[in-house]
Amino acid sequence: MTMALGAVQVLILILGAPLARGIIARIKAWFQRRQGASIWRPYAELGKLFQKEDLVPPTSSLIFILAPRVMFAAALAVAAFVPVLQPFALFGSVGDFVLMVYLLALGRFFLALGALDGGGAFGGMGASRDALISTLAEAPLLLALAAVSISARSASITGIVGGTLRQNFFEISAVHILAFAALGMVALAESGRMPVDNPTTHLELTMIHEAMTLEYSGPSLALLEWAGAVKLNIMLALLISLFGPWGMAGSLSPAALGIALGAYLLKMLVLMSVLAVIESSMAKLRMYRVPDFLGVAAALSVLAVFFTMIAKR
Amino acid sequence: MMVLDVTFWSFLALLGVIVPLLQLGGRGRFVRALSIFLLLVGILAGLAVAGVCFWKNVPVTLRLPSVAAFPLSLAVDRLSAFFLFLICSVSLPVCIFSTSYVTHHYAAEKARWMWALLSLFILSMAVVVTASTGLAFLVGWELMTIVSAGLILIEGDSEERIHDVYIYLLMMHAGAAAVVAAFFLYWPYAHGLEFDALRSASMSLPAGLRGAIFLLAFVGFSTKAGIIPFHLWLPRAHPIAPSPVSALMSGVMLKTAIYGLVRFGFDFLHGGPRWSGYLVLAAGAVSGLLGVLYAIAEHDLKRLLAYHSVENIGIIYLGLGSSLLFLANGAPMWANLALIAALLHTLNHALFKSLLFLGAGAIAHSTHTLDLEKLGGLLGRMPITGAAFLVGCCSIVGLPMFNGFISEWLTFRSFLYGSNLTNTEAQVVLPLMIGILALIGGLAAACFIKVYGVAFLGRPRSTEAEHAAEAPLNMRLGMVVLALACILLGLFPLTVLSPLASLAQLLVPGSTAPEEIYFISRVIPWVALTLLGALVVMQAVRRRQRVAAIWACGLPGLTSRMQYTSTAFSKPIRSVFVSVYKPDRTVNRLPTGQSYFANSISYRSQRTTSFEKFLYRPFVDAIVAAARQVGRLQTGNIQVYLLYIFLTLVSLLVCLRFLR
Repeated sequence: MTMALGAVQVLILILGAPLARGIIARIKAWFQRRQGASIWRPYAELGKLFQKEDLVPPTSSLIFILAPRVMFAAALAVAAFVPVLQPFALFGSVGDFVLMVYLLALGRFFLALGALDGGGAFGGMGASRDALISTLAEAPLLLALAAVSISARSASITGIVGGTLRQNFFEISAVHILAFAALGMVALAESGRMPVDNPTTHLELTMIHEAMTLEYSGPSLALLEWAGAVKLNIMLALLISLFGPWGMAGSLSPAALGIALGAYLLKMLVLMSVLAVIESSMAKLRMYRVPDFLGVAAALSVLAVFFTMIAKR
Repeated sequence: MMVLDVTFWSFLALLGVIVPLLQLGGRGRFVRALSIFLLLVGILAGLAVAGVCFWKNVPVTLRLPSVAAFPLSLAVDRLSAFFLFLICSVSLPVCIFSTSYVTHHYAAEKARWMWALLSLFILSMAVVVTASTGLAFLVGWELMTIVSAGLILIEGDSEERIHDVYIYLLMMHAGAAAVVAAFFLYWPYAHGLEFDALRSASMSLPAGLRGAIFLLAFVGFSTKAGIIPFHLWLPRAHPIAPSPVSALMSGVMLKTAIYGLVRFGFDFLHGGPRWSGYLVLAAGAVSGLLGVLYAIAEHDLKRLLAYHSVENIGIIYLGLGSSLLFLANGAPMWANLALIAALLHTLNHALFKSLLFLGAGAIAHSTHTLDLEKLGGLLGRMPITGAAFLVGCCSIVGLPMFNGFISEWLTFRSFLYGSNLTNTEAQVVLPLMIGILALIGGLAAACFIKVYGVAFLGRPRSTEAEHAAEAPLNMRLGMVVLALACILLGLFPLTVLSPLASLAQLLVPGSTAPEEIYFISRVIPWVALTLLGALVVMQAVRRRQRVAAIWACGLPGLTSRMQYTSTAFSKPIRSVFVSVYKPDRTVNRLPTGQSYFANSISYRSQRTTSFEKFLYRPFVDAIVAAARQVGRLQTGNIQVYLLYIFLTLVSLLVCLRFLR
């Protein structure tokens, strides 16, 4: 039963990802005093793209077609690490946070290769910029996760979630606050949102992720877009489950599950609103300012690791 | 056990005597082909001995005739067996690769020397890791240096090359001097240099001497391993060697230094002084970070790979350092884990780095260049080479399902346990190393995206790359064998991890096999199944595809010059880490004075690493200056020399009088 629920959680993360994107776009539209598109539009877009054919550049190789698929498969595998409704996930206890981060890296690696395989100028541009950002994001991401893992005395995601659940909400420590801040900043960078990258631009001077997907079309593009949405969804769900898991179902009774689902959706909505506020109120950083932004995240995560030692005294 | 002894003897005899003699003395194609066959048989024999000793833990000891008071003997215990296994398992595919490489690249005379020296080179490394006396170790060590220098000179003997080989030999001998000193510091405590004697003498060493021995061994072996700041020779010597030799030097020869450090640090000294862990960790962190940063700025493929060796040795040192730190803090369980991580990374690096160097050899064979800016689009033209090279890239980056991941994961996990120590410094330092290793990993990923994307993907950047043809069969075979090894070890790591755990228990007394090795071996197949299952499903539902030119911003078409180059790709990272590179840039405009209407502008940017400028240059200058001062003694006047002799005699007599 818990296994089945684990599979349901993966489906929530995968199938709910376009919806999350739609809701964020809607909230942003509200800030801009526009009516905005329907929150279901991302599904329609994916459906449209899946109907079309794949256009492949004449000079490209197998990697070009393989890359979006590896990216999506990696996102799928990562989704199996993140608890949503119950403090359990399919890979949550058999895998640990290092494996999760490296699976994300697997997807990124192939995406960048696919971008370079296009043979145009933009793919390389995007891959080069993305390489800088993901390189610098890796250290704060792992350090922040290490800090919470040390304070929960467990390296598996479910172990960390269980550790946070056992805590009283008011006993939340400096480690968690610092790690949350660091992880939040990294999540923005990892999922290509403002102020690191603007997902709505196609300006060659600034685009990063969009430049990498520029030569893709049809189902490949759909998979890339979907995988990107899943990554954002995973990052948000990870923030929720690591730092605010309260409300998760302790038992498998329908009532507990209903509460868990409601709590999850509510927390998700709050995070999405925060994201929309950030994206509406901030300008995108110049690319050479991004290292400073991630440097702050790294400093916060280092402090979080320091505080784990103090918290033990 | 007789069988093993005989097999090991035949390994030594084939590689050390029969193959070189047949190559150099034999006449005719048949004899030479036979000797190559015998070389492969010999390596297989070595592999069998190593495999049996490593998995079944059966030691082999060979007594050789002793030289004066110094016994020369070889013994294969479990640690030696692991390294012998590493040497043989990499040498076999490298030799298979060489069979095509040598016939395509060398005339008959050079080919003979190549094979003879290659055989001796493999033998010398095997002697180093199986020596059970100090003298045998040093003989092997010296042979290894000299033979590899000879192999570098096979490709040619231009002045530049000789200069690089000279630096290589100079640094190797400085390192060897430190190793010799480390052995001879034992002299008053252990009579003879048998490893058994050294092991038992280590218990009774005074603390200061233990520290001195560890430091000397560290400096000596780090020079061989290419640890920064002793790395100067590595990016010079590795790129100019023939590709199979580069593969052996980077993949295997550097590992003999790791063997030496483990032998001294763990087997003899049982962890060494308290600061040893910090020293090794710091060296590993610096080498890891700077190695990968220097690599990313390179666009010569072999030099780039050479810098990555510096980086990966850094990662191995991170594992060894944390193991020493755990040992010093009385935590054998985690010391065991970290040691397993370091040893596994040693094997992994041997496999994927030799694969990548062989790939570079295949590229050079097909395109006659190793400049990334002239490559591109090779995957379509050399599919097998391209696929094998991709496996190598994924492994070195440490992506899950490939072998590099397993060892990096174990290293991460051992760092995480640092927080459980009671020692405050260690408690902070070890978890923070997670950040360092993550940064190294991220930079390595960026670097290999660049390498693979620029060399194998996109459009060819030169006519040579455009007309590249697939490498010959034996070259492909060598690479495919190594690529398969990388994948198998990445999916089923327990085959090597469980004997490694037993080995680590011998080196770290009082520990048991850590649960992490079972943990990762259980989860990786499931993750692989998920990923491959998803890929298969997506492949099955794939719709039609059509080839169409990409949008060229309204221009008639794209050219290969419009692609991002290797230099352009690494520019953002080089800009962020500009303080590491400190490039010298000069811009010349002609005619001078006119800033807007120049007829020609030349731009030149070059890097000399700060180590050359600020560490080695003053050192060399100081030695030269000191030599000048000493030179003043040499007046050329016979009376003065007679005075020197007289003064020496008197002072010796005075010394004798007071020492008695």
